[in-house]
Amino acid sequence: MASSDDSSLKAVQVKLVLLGEAAVGKSSLVLRFVQNDFNENTSPTIGAAFLTQKCRLENRVVKFEIWDTAGQERVRLDRYPDPFHSLAPMYYRNAQAAVVVYDITKASSLEKAKAWVKELQRQASPNIVIALVGNKLDLVNDDAASSAVPAPPVDAADDEDEVKSTDGEDDEDTADEAGSSKPRPAAAASTSDSLRQVYTAEAEAYAKESNLLFYEASAKTGQNVGDLFTEIAKTIPIDTIAPKPVPAGRRSGAANAAQTDGNVNLGEGSQAKKGGCC
Amino acid sequence: MSLPLHLRSYKEKSKDELARDYFNIPNQDAFAPVAAGEKPVLQKVRNRLDAGGLQGMDINAVLSVEGKEEVYAGRLSLLPPFLCFNSVDRRSCRFTLPLFTIRRVERLNSRAGVFALSLATWHGMRIILQLTSLLPTAEHFSILLRDALKAQLAPMKQLKPFLPSFYSEFLIAGPSTQHNVDKHDSLLLGSEIGEKLQQHLDGEGDLRGPGSEGKGEYQRGLGETFGFPGDARKMRERSKMKLWREYFIVHGRNLTLIRYPPFQRLLQVGLPSRLRGELWEVMSGSVYLRFAYPDTYKQLLSANEGRSSQSTDEIEKDLNRSLPEYKAYQSDIGLAKLRRVLVAYSFRNPELGYCQALNIVVAGLLIYMSEEQAFWLLEVLCDRILPGYYSPSMEGTLLDQRVFESLVQRCLPMIKDHFTSVDVQLSVASLPWFLSLYINSMPLIFAFRIVDCVLAMGVKVLFQIGLAVLKINGEALLEVTDDGMFINLMRTYFSTIGDSAHPNHPDPRVRAITNFQELLVVAFREFNVITDETIQGERKRLRAIISDEIEKFSKRAAVRNLKSAGRFDKETVGVIYDHYFTAVCSDDANAGGLSGDYKHGDQFDQPRILVDVNGRVETRIDLRTFRSFLAGIATWAREETVTSNAFIQRTDKRVAEHELIDRLFYSWDSQGLGTLALQDVVVGLDRVMKAGLMESIEWFFNLHDKNKDGYLTKDEVIQLSESLLFIFRNEPGDIYLAAVSKFILNAYEFGDATAPPVSGETEVLSPAIDGQEGSASHVRERSDSVARPHNLPYLNLATFRMVVLADELLENFFDTDLSASFQLDRGADEDYHQAQAKTEGLLGGLMNLVVTDTNKNRFNRLTDTFGAALGKHVEWRKPSLTRSRQTEAAPTEIGQRESLLTPAQQQQIEQRQRSTSSVSQTSVTSAKSTLTTDGKSLAEVESRYREESEMVRQAQEAVMHRPKFAVDAIGDSDDEEEEEGREGDGDGDDAVMDEVEAFLKAHGADDEGLKGEQKKVANDLLTAEPIR
Ligand SMILES: Nc1nc2c(ncn2[C@@H]2O[C@H](COP(=O)(O)OP(=O)(O)OP(=O)(O)O)[C@@H](O)[C@H]2O)c(=O)[nH]1
Ligand SMILES: [Mg+2]
Repeated sequence: MASSDDSSLKAVQVKLVLLGEAAVGKSSLVLRFVQNDFNENTSPTIGAAFLTQKCRLENRVVKFEIWDTAGQERVRLDRYPDPFHSLAPMYYRNAQAAVVVYDITKASSLEKAKAWVKELQRQASPNIVIALVGNKLDLVNDDAASSAVPAPPVDAADDEDEVKSTDGEDDEDTADEAGSSKPRPAAAASTSDSLRQVYTAEAEAYAKESNLLFYEASAKTGQNVGDLFTEIAKTIPIDTIAPKPVPAGRRSGAANAAQTDGNVNLGEGSQAKKGGCC
Repeated sequence: MSLPLHLRSYKEKSKDELARDYFNIPNQDAFAPVAAGEKPVLQKVRNRLDAGGLQGMDINAVLSVEGKEEVYAGRLSLLPPFLCFNSVDRRSCRFTLPLFTIRRVERLNSRAGVFALSLATWHGMRIILQLTSLLPTAEHFSILLRDALKAQLAPMKQLKPFLPSFYSEFLIAGPSTQHNVDKHDSLLLGSEIGEKLQQHLDGEGDLRGPGSEGKGEYQRGLGETFGFPGDARKMRERSKMKLWREYFIVHGRNLTLIRYPPFQRLLQVGLPSRLRGELWEVMSGSVYLRFAYPDTYKQLLSANEGRSSQSTDEIEKDLNRSLPEYKAYQSDIGLAKLRRVLVAYSFRNPELGYCQALNIVVAGLLIYMSEEQAFWLLEVLCDRILPGYYSPSMEGTLLDQRVFESLVQRCLPMIKDHFTSVDVQLSVASLPWFLSLYINSMPLIFAFRIVDCVLAMGVKVLFQIGLAVLKINGEALLEVTDDGMFINLMRTYFSTIGDSAHPNHPDPRVRAITNFQELLVVAFREFNVITDETIQGERKRLRAIISDEIEKFSKRAAVRNLKSAGRFDKETVGVIYDHYFTAVCSDDANAGGLSGDYKHGDQFDQPRILVDVNGRVETRIDLRTFRSFLAGIATWAREETVTSNAFIQRTDKRVAEHELIDRLFYSWDSQGLGTLALQDVVVGLDRVMKAGLMESIEWFFNLHDKNKDGYLTKDEVIQLSESLLFIFRNEPGDIYLAAVSKFILNAYEFGDATAPPVSGETEVLSPAIDGQEGSASHVRERSDSVARPHNLPYLNLATFRMVVLADELLENFFDTDLSASFQLDRGADEDYHQAQAKTEGLLGGLMNLVVTDTNKNRFNRLTDTFGAALGKHVEWRKPSLTRSRQTEAAPTEIGQRESLLTPAQQQQIEQRQRSTSSVSQTSVTSAKSTLTTDGKSLAEVESRYREESEMVRQAQEAVMHRPKFAVDAIGDSDDEEEEEGREGDGDGDDAVMDEVEAFLKAHGADDEGLKGEQKKVANDLLTAEPIR
């Protein structure tokens, strides 16, 4: 990755957070993106995991710093306001991009995803690019799968003002309730031959009205995973990418000598080689 | 939605509870006999600590065991139904002996004149205990012991059928030993078990390497079928097993296991796979629960068969995400076991339900334990070892993460400072360490060795390991600049934990030291300063902050999640929430019980947490709690007595009771559940507080129109008048009384004119929702004898309105006074816990002792008496309505000012007043001295114990040789193969013990117990005759 070509394109860091109900496949999507790999049997994420991956576009290199968070509300560390830090929960504090994942074979997971979107629009930074992703596309029939068309890219910078209109009456805290709401009778009836519970059209319509990028994808087959992250990288307005906020005293001391290179970071070399998309 | 109520009811553990925790005695009243016909309790019940009324006692003692050289001085504790011992250094020697394992107790005839008891366990192990306190104390102790033993006859009978569930029994019964203790066993136990086990034996069956199915009836884990993790030869399973067998023969096994120094050594080299499950349940004490509740697990499963809940859904999602690398969890057998244990526990503890990470922990346990064993260990983990770690608010986890941070600050300040400067939070990496006991963080074989130590020595091990990990990686950690680097660094370290710590060292023995061995050494040597007390102290210090954070969060969540806030703004809803929460936590509400279709989840003393059929947990309040809630809001729903005597003026508040309040409760109960959720009271308050004149008249009318036909009956007119009188009861003067009597007259007059014609039939009463109200009107029916039947439609809303508007005072009342009588202006008690902690800190421990509620009451009574004597005692009832308050400025002024203060402030003021009063001081001291009437003998015992332990300590110090730890001593050989080959002749054992020695040295020198004269006495006693 660190070839001579790259050195002219300085990597811009983008903090990206994955959110969504437990077991929808957040960690699997990250694994696919970062290591182009899939594992049937993972472990639930406790707290959060952190990985990095670069994504090369024509005119720039985006380095994603990915926070893969826990799905079960109670094992998320960031639920409580931290008196020593800012009020916004730390995983998506300063995040420039968020991938909100649901499982297309589980209707309730979309409800949870919607709650996350609301929460992000209320609490996260105003320029955040949000992508809604229906995962496990491989589990539904072929025709349903082929109908999954990526949503037209939305210029988040232009529309951002409309995004933040909700008052956020209910949000992340509805997690406990989300499971019970609205069973989806239509889904089961019309696609009795498949496991699909969330229609592409329905989720897409919601994504459009909320100004989200939208994909259906499969971590298992890798379908649309690369496109998803590339699209996010493209959508992030280059001028809004502020340098990573530097806490006081951060750059002091010899510890940061290695950092000046900008390309040297832990574990990055091996991960980047196997990169899925870029 | 449920509120974190338990944070308010949290109490620091008492000395007795701490002692029980230390000795791993279950929190439950595990051995209380279940009354005939009583249904077995499947859900957890907290705080049944009394051991059937039996008294416990502590005494100084010297312990020796037949066949052992070492003799230890220590403290013997009778904690019925257990007898526990702990050596003076709290490290070398200890036991927790269930009394039902003791077959015989004799007092020995000693030449030295000491009071000595000889205990024989069911398998004939003899324990000699010299009670070294004064003779009467020793005698008292032995009487209590006798009583406690007597109560254990029933469990004694259950012991025999229980024993075959232990692998150690199977192991001991094996033939490959020169010590022939089997004779003993057969003698004391009846030959059955011994014979049975003999039949199962084939050669070295018990010592066979793992992987092949073992015989015997013992409880076993998945490892017996699917193979245990790790290479049995490399882990020297056979040598370890042999050493354990020898250990058991002398020191007792399973329920009778005594921990002598070799125990610690054997523990720290890793328990042998086959024995691991049993030792886990023995060390943690979960075995006592398995013994006491033999049917609970099965019953839980059968009683909840086919039920699904939010927890079962969550469990289902995680089943194939639980140690998937282990073979058993790729098969249905393993997954089914895992499912059953997690589901059973979710129904036993519905408030906790299921928390991710438990799947990992239980998957780990099930490799070594049967389902039932794992189930009980899970309970002990969630209850005692890791309290609050997995609960919905996870307060225990949050607390311990904060404790960990603070310990890092203390022990490794450079790392903590660096992390602060680069804004990296420790918990991003350390959270899973604590939550899944490192099981998912490092290769299984190493993680389970940490679990071994946690279950043997408690939660401090998690901290010690965590600190050691940070210390070992210290240099690299100082290079970390963000969370990601930190996480990756930790991941890399753990993935190489089996590698050599010094790969380039010329000495092969040093090369053989693994990162893991180094980790244990650092953890237990350098961080042995982290003790149970350290953790307790830090938790105590930080708990208030965590609790307030959680409560604030819950409040925001609760307020935000309301479907409707009515006409209130968010802030006001927050105040309503505060009142609601305070009521739920109040003493007034505590005695309340709930009925209905709900199951009680009464763990944590929360009768107000309801678990619905879907396993969803919700906080609702019952009538009793509602009264207390309303008393905090509506002035007329409480009795406020203002008392002034010569010293202070105080306001006593009491919850009022009246049918009116009950009516409000039932009318707000929109779902007819007999309980109210926060949403219900918000909607209810909206209706009454935001009402204008006409609305107020209407809801008040409807409140008394029981059958909702739009008419009040004559009875109901009377009831309505009573409600008015109740509200007006404390208003000065008689204008209100006059208004109400005028109202009644007018109502009857207009009623007679406008009432619908009486039809012949009597109206059928609509089925009463609450029996109370129904019966109340029956009573009235009998006592009242107006011509017109009083249960017929009589007065409609329009007429009622007319009657009300005819009176100016009533008009004003409904126009403003009624809605204004609900007041939400009280300051929010955020930071409740910190305020509590602060009063404790500021006023010091003594003041805190004094200011109990009883003392407060006593003090109040005392000052009242003085006041009366001085003729300064004045008492009056505070009026409820604002209008009259203004006219009665003098007495209310103070009250109003008082109400501006938060309760904590008020308390402080009261306390300050009290401390300056000399009267209170004397009253307190006199109270104290009466409390300690029998304190003298106790004090004597105490000081004697101090003296003695100091002597013993000095003696030990003198003889103790503390070699400096040498890293080179770790690791025995660079050639495992050769080792295994020679194992038969005992060299292999030595090899294990080499490793063992290294750890022991790391841990501090071996304590060989007492020397000289005392030891001689102990030895003599082994041959002493029992006293007739
Ligand atoms: N068929 C299929 N299965 C998938 C796909 N993605 C994930 N899974 C499976 O779904 C399960 C959950 O995946 P994870 O990636 O662990 O889910 P998660 O969202 O990270 O879960 P939490 O960490 O608990 O929040 C695993 O068993 C995966 O194998 C997919 O695209 N197709
Ligand atoms: Mg995950």
